[in-house]
Amino acid sequence: MAPEPPGGPPVLALRQATVAYEREPVVEGVDGEVAAGQSVALIGPNGAGKSTLIRAVLGLVPLTGGTIQVLGRAPQAARRQVAYVPQADTLDAEFPVSALQVVLMGRYPRIGWVRRPGTADRQAAASALAQVGLAERASARFGTLSGGQRQRVLLARAIAQEPRLLLLDEPFNGVDALSQDLLLTAMGRLRSAGAAVVMATHDLGLAHLACDEVCLLNRHQIGFGPIGTTLTPELLRATYGGQALQLRGDGVIVARP
Amino acid sequence: MNQLSLLEVFGDSFARRALLEAVMVGGLCGAVGVHVLLRRLPFFTMALGHATFPGVVLAALLGISLFAGAAAFGAVVVVVVALLGARDRVDDTSAVGVTLSGAFALGVLLLSAQAGFSRDLTAYLVGSIITVQVGDLVTTALVGAAVLAALAALHKELVLGAFDRGGLAALGYPVLALDVVLLLLIEATVVTSIPAVGTILAVALIVAPAATARLWTERLRATMALAAVLGATSGVVGLAISLQWRVAAGATIVLVAAALFAVSLVVAPRHGLLARRPAALVPVAATTTAAGQGPTRAG
Amino acid sequence: MNLFEPFTIPYMQRALAEVLVLGALAGAVGVLVVLRRLAFVGDALTHTVFPGVVIAHLLGRSLMAGALAFGVLTAVLLTGLGSHRRVGDDAALAILLTSFFSLGVVLISRTRGFTADLTVFLFGRVLAIDRTDLVQTLVVAAVVALVLAVLHKELVLRAFDPEAAAAMGYRTRRLDLVLNLLIALVVVAAVEAVGTVLVIALIVVPAAAARLLADRVAAMTALACLLGAAGGWLGLAISYEVSVDHDLRLAAGATIVVVLVGLFLVAAAVAPLRRRLARDRVPAVARRGLGNSGGVPQ
Repeated sequence: MAPEPPGGPPVLALRQATVAYEREPVVEGVDGEVAAGQSVALIGPNGAGKSTLIRAVLGLVPLTGGTIQVLGRAPQAARRQVAYVPQADTLDAEFPVSALQVVLMGRYPRIGWVRRPGTADRQAAASALAQVGLAERASARFGTLSGGQRQRVLLARAIAQEPRLLLLDEPFNGVDALSQDLLLTAMGRLRSAGAAVVMATHDLGLAHLACDEVCLLNRHQIGFGPIGTTLTPELLRATYGGQALQLRGDGVIVARP
Repeated sequence: MNQLSLLEVFGDSFARRALLEAVMVGGLCGAVGVHVLLRRLPFFTMALGHATFPGVVLAALLGISLFAGAAAFGAVVVVVVALLGARDRVDDTSAVGVTLSGAFALGVLLLSAQAGFSRDLTAYLVGSIITVQVGDLVTTALVGAAVLAALAALHKELVLGAFDRGGLAALGYPVLALDVVLLLLIEATVVTSIPAVGTILAVALIVAPAATARLWTERLRATMALAAVLGATSGVVGLAISLQWRVAAGATIVLVAAALFAVSLVVAPRHGLLARRPAALVPVAATTTAAGQGPTRAG
Repeated sequence: MNLFEPFTIPYMQRALAEVLVLGALAGAVGVLVVLRRLAFVGDALTHTVFPGVVIAHLLGRSLMAGALAFGVLTAVLLTGLGSHRRVGDDAALAILLTSFFSLGVVLISRTRGFTADLTVFLFGRVLAIDRTDLVQTLVVAAVVALVLAVLHKELVLRAFDPEAAAAMGYRTRRLDLVLNLLIALVVVAAVEAVGTVLVIALIVVPAAAARLLADRVAAMTALACLLGAAGGWLGLAISYEVSVDHDLRLAAGATIVVVLVGLFLVAAAVAPLRRRLARDRVPAVARRGLGNSGGVPQ
């Protein structure tokens, strides 16, 4: 299925977006667009503002400068179309929920208040779990799954939301190779269906595999563009301050100090 | 109502004993409170006060030293909480909740089996300073002196340990032992405060004067001195008011200490609300994640 | 020891009805308190509700009404403070709680029979429960049960993953306020029966025990209600039998709490066996919190 033709508003549009906490700028000058079916990697060292930017796109922190538009509207108005995948290890491993129940949570905004999940919701949840290869673990307690499996469950939750924009925070951290492949495949399927993807990541190799554009951040934007022209040694040096980087996967880039 | 002068209020011998106790306990609590704040232990101290209760009851029933009973029970509670908290699916707050409930109920049970249940219970919980005897005064003086001496001797180590445990360990100090010593000093202070303010309110007399002092000065030794003075003052003023109006002394002392804190919160130069107003009104935009997780996560 | 005989007496029957309802109610709310580690909120409420109870008593009004007023106030305050917690606020919170409590003590100490009244307010008087109290408890239980049923999935989502909840558009602050109000209502309902100090046990202990044995929220809730009610029944029966047969007066409320803690310890002992049988194991890597936050995936 081809991505949405140009003409409609981009899924995500950032214009000189700036976020500050208590008058200290945390990330500033972020400027770029993400169209349907496109995928952008947010790359930068710890403290660069990647998580903050994601929160701003979700409308959870206010902008102190510039604008962010999701599907042509303010972030708070577009939440139904946006799905967020946090890192799995931030969640309580002992919580009494099953994998399927976690995925069902993605349907709550659709289900609304008071009502319980219906058959359609359960089917959507089961299908999402199957897409990440965890159909047989549906009734396993979430905490008994491995790190990679939990990350896949969280992605399934996002898939069940049927989003137009998918935001992921370090989705490949501590995740085994098989899970990585399944995550990439599922993300690819979402993109074919027209969703835009923005992911914060440290892993440059996986950024190459998963994304066509990259946004380099280190408290301010250093570059935003196609991965081939933007993920260059000089810009990486500017982003990471000249440190040597260890990479894997195809298309290895090594920055010389 | 007769407006008695301060001298007349403290005319009776029981009032003079109470006054002496209030001054000593107030001063001691103030000094110790500074360390409680440094290490962010107000809630732990609150829990300690609750947990000490059955130990005190047991000790009184068995006729042994209240300190021994309280210390022993306090130690048992700490161990139980640690053991429980280490198990799967028992988080720290639940471990504390379960242990405290059990310990407290046990204390109530033991007391209820005696006659004169209500009176004794009240005395342990909210204090009964006007029935303080000379023996209690001596105990308070001795324990107070010992605690203050220990605090003075270990001052720099305790302070460093509060700010930089790693640094303290690197210098070769036994960090855990020092932590335990401080906890025992806090416990001794709580137990010493029982005749004056009881177990439930002890935390207030420990925390409030110190918190108030911190609003007025930044130098640590000055803070401790000021906290001790504020604690003793709360004791005297609270006791005087309670004798005038014939209300519970311990609670009145706590209310005075809290009032001093509230006033200082507003008017203190530099740290008070009035002084800091511009910054205090800037809203901190943050997601409401689990308590403690601020906006500065990795990335 | 006969665990049924005491309940042929009318006042014991009312007491039993009260603790069964309270136990189940506190257990249900306790599930969310334990999952979100909110035990301190419950503890805070026990301190701040107390002056409300005292004032109501002095004014000759319903104790529950007084507790309710202060309980709601506290719930709102705590919700407001909750999202702005900084180091110094712990001290302020502790001072606030003890001040409220001291206010209650000062007010009640002006009356005669001060110590007896204080004991009643702190530890309850479940054997003196009358029909009106029982009805009031049932009403509160119905309200709380309704709210829990309606908001269940959102409250659980917020407990499990507050970030995702916020991302989906849920106002987590409002959900927190609702839960704090529910906790306040439980404390209010329990004031007459077990008093303000022991109610925290009713909320935390059955739910903590249930957590050890259940792998689903639904099961945990059912178990917590069951354990809460069972603790109430056993505690009442034991305190009655011991007081009557062995002439050892055991306070009913405190006995209930001790029984509940006993049930918790049994659950704690049994839990590892049950998990082995259910093959419910968290992978060791995950339990040690080894996440790769660097750059190189394994």
